Amino acid sequence: MSNVKLPVFAGLVGDFGSKNFNWDKIRQVANPEIVVAFTLFAILTFIAVFGQFIQTHDPMQGDLLKRFTPPGSEGYFLGSDHLGRDLWSRMVDGLQWSMACAMTANLLNLFIGSTLGLLAAEKPGMLRIIINQLVYTLQSFPGLVILICVVVVVGQGFTTLVMTLGLLSWVVYMRVVYAEASSLFQREYVQAARLAGVSRWSIMFGHVLPGVRASLFVIFAFHFAGLLIAESALSFLGLGAPLGVPTWGNMLAESRQYMIRAPWMLIVPAGAIVTAVVTMNLVGDGIASLSRKKGRSIDV
Amino acid sequence: MSSASEVNNNKIDKSLNKANLIGPFIPFIQQLTRLLVLLFMVTTLLFFMLRLAGDPALVLAGNDASPEQLAAIRAQYGLDKPLLIQYFNYMLNLLQGDFGRSLASGEPAMGKVLTMLPATLLIAGLAMLISILIAIPLGAWLGFKPERPDRRAVSGIIFVFQGVPGFVTALIFIQVFAVNLRLLPSLGMEWGTIEYINLFSNLSIPIPIPSKTWILPSCSLAWFLMPSLTRVVAANTSEAMREDYIRTARAGGASGKSVLWRHALPNALLGAAALIGTQFAFLMGGAVITETIFAWPGIGWLLIESTQTLDFPVVQALAFCIAILVFIVNAITELSFQFLDPRLRSKGN
Repeated sequence: MSNVKLPVFAGLVGDFGSKNFNWDKIRQVANPEIVVAFTLFAILTFIAVFGQFIQTHDPMQGDLLKRFTPPGSEGYFLGSDHLGRDLWSRMVDGLQWSMACAMTANLLNLFIGSTLGLLAAEKPGMLRIIINQLVYTLQSFPGLVILICVVVVVGQGFTTLVMTLGLLSWVVYMRVVYAEASSLFQREYVQAARLAGVSRWSIMFGHVLPGVRASLFVIFAFHFAGLLIAESALSFLGLGAPLGVPTWGNMLAESRQYMIRAPWMLIVPAGAIVTAVVTMNLVGDGIASLSRKKGRSIDV
Repeated sequence: MSSASEVNNNKIDKSLNKANLIGPFIPFIQQLTRLLVLLFMVTTLLFFMLRLAGDPALVLAGNDASPEQLAAIRAQYGLDKPLLIQYFNYMLNLLQGDFGRSLASGEPAMGKVLTMLPATLLIAGLAMLISILIAIPLGAWLGFKPERPDRRAVSGIIFVFQGVPGFVTALIFIQVFAVNLRLLPSLGMEWGTIEYINLFSNLSIPIPIPSKTWILPSCSLAWFLMPSLTRVVAANTSEAMREDYIRTARAGGASGKSVLWRHALPNALLGAAALIGTQFAFLMGGAVITETIFAWPGIGWLLIESTQTLDFPVVQALAFCIAILVFIVNAITELSFQFLDPRLRSKGN
């Protein structure tokens, strides 16, 4: 990804707010895949933002007389669970929790990862060695193993979960920023800026980071999917969200005892996770194919 | 990238390395140093982190223990000393290969981890094997003519599969094959033993008994690994099919199939080998959730159990073991590239 085709993509994103936003350019690059990706993403975002208005029941309030209602009957359009709570409303709550969690953690990752990547790429020295050793340490364990060890210590809850995910899974950003920025720091325009007396931080964030922007967008989408999975996996193990909070991981964990009686308790949250993850993967693929030549979206 | 002076420098470096006996081992020594620093960092961090998590004496004694009992347990395990002293004691023991004893069962911690290890290796190997057996032919088929509608449909399906997390796959497999169809068992694993008796010793070597319980865990793990591998093989194959040497072979009269199997696929597999290495390294941490769901007695399952009971000697031993395993797998992957990729072989490093 070193020579990412910036113009098309940078034009798209850069002009987004301004008046000369060019719809023709969009029509040229938008293939059906991208349209589907961004439509799905828009729907998910809509549900996440306006969730309270489209819930049909209170997600926490159960009706014990209506336990295990199959989908589509008695007003529960995705069925009800073992306490008679509406699965659709709980799924919407789960979406909000997951999106908020993944988004915040992702932004944290983006910030930490790109800062460390830039610092390590800037010049050889002690800082580079330390940062690389840190990355090496984090990489020597499967992500979930580290997360489990830390979450056990810091406890459950939204803030701790976001902080754990945010502080520990930035390696992917750092590696890409490091790889691409290393060559950018050697370019003439950076040298010129240095000679002109531009400050160190302003070179890093103002001159070098924009050159990595296209890759960062792609990683942001794929990493978002990864964080969604990590979050629901931790909740499923009973380590992430506190018990009782309607998240997809918790809903899956609850469904395990009622597999014979109410398979929809498994299918609803599983479908939600898969939809969200596939959407984010599609978005990542779409951005990647916007930022490079068309028709090569298979190899991300 | 390769200006004249750089080439010269490389030559000088190489001649220096040849003169020096340690030369060829420098990368290896560097790697080993990194591993040692890593192990030190991890044990140190984990030590302080797990002590912050809670009082192990409380876990050992239970919540309704009297203060005297707690004090006795603290004295017995050396938990009454200052934290730094405990840390130094722990590191000293570690240097002698003593990881301490499990707080839950009193067994040696490393021994406990090592007895769990074969199950993890078994499931990882099986899953990897199934995944490779499916992914390579499928990827070659997809990458041969990626623009055909049937291949586009299949790669679309594989794209969706890629978005299914491993634990969701596992749950759905249980739902379908164990609950609905009642075909396969969903839990557990059995060990048998081979008695090895001679004049001097009486060993019983544990071996896994092949059974139906292997099918669901290994298949659901393979299901999770397969899509990304297939996509990589497909992408690399289709890329290789556009290369000049393929056109040459085609022009020379080679049939489409022989071009695929003899020329394009071997190149595609190089890229896949890197991913296989990464995936296997990932599995060394134990497919934590898959093992938990299927009650598979591997190190992933042990990790969950020991973290939840704050059994920190076991967690420490686990982290140590996983780090070394990941290191070994990565080293093997890198070495195997030397054999697989002729370009690296001819460089002679």
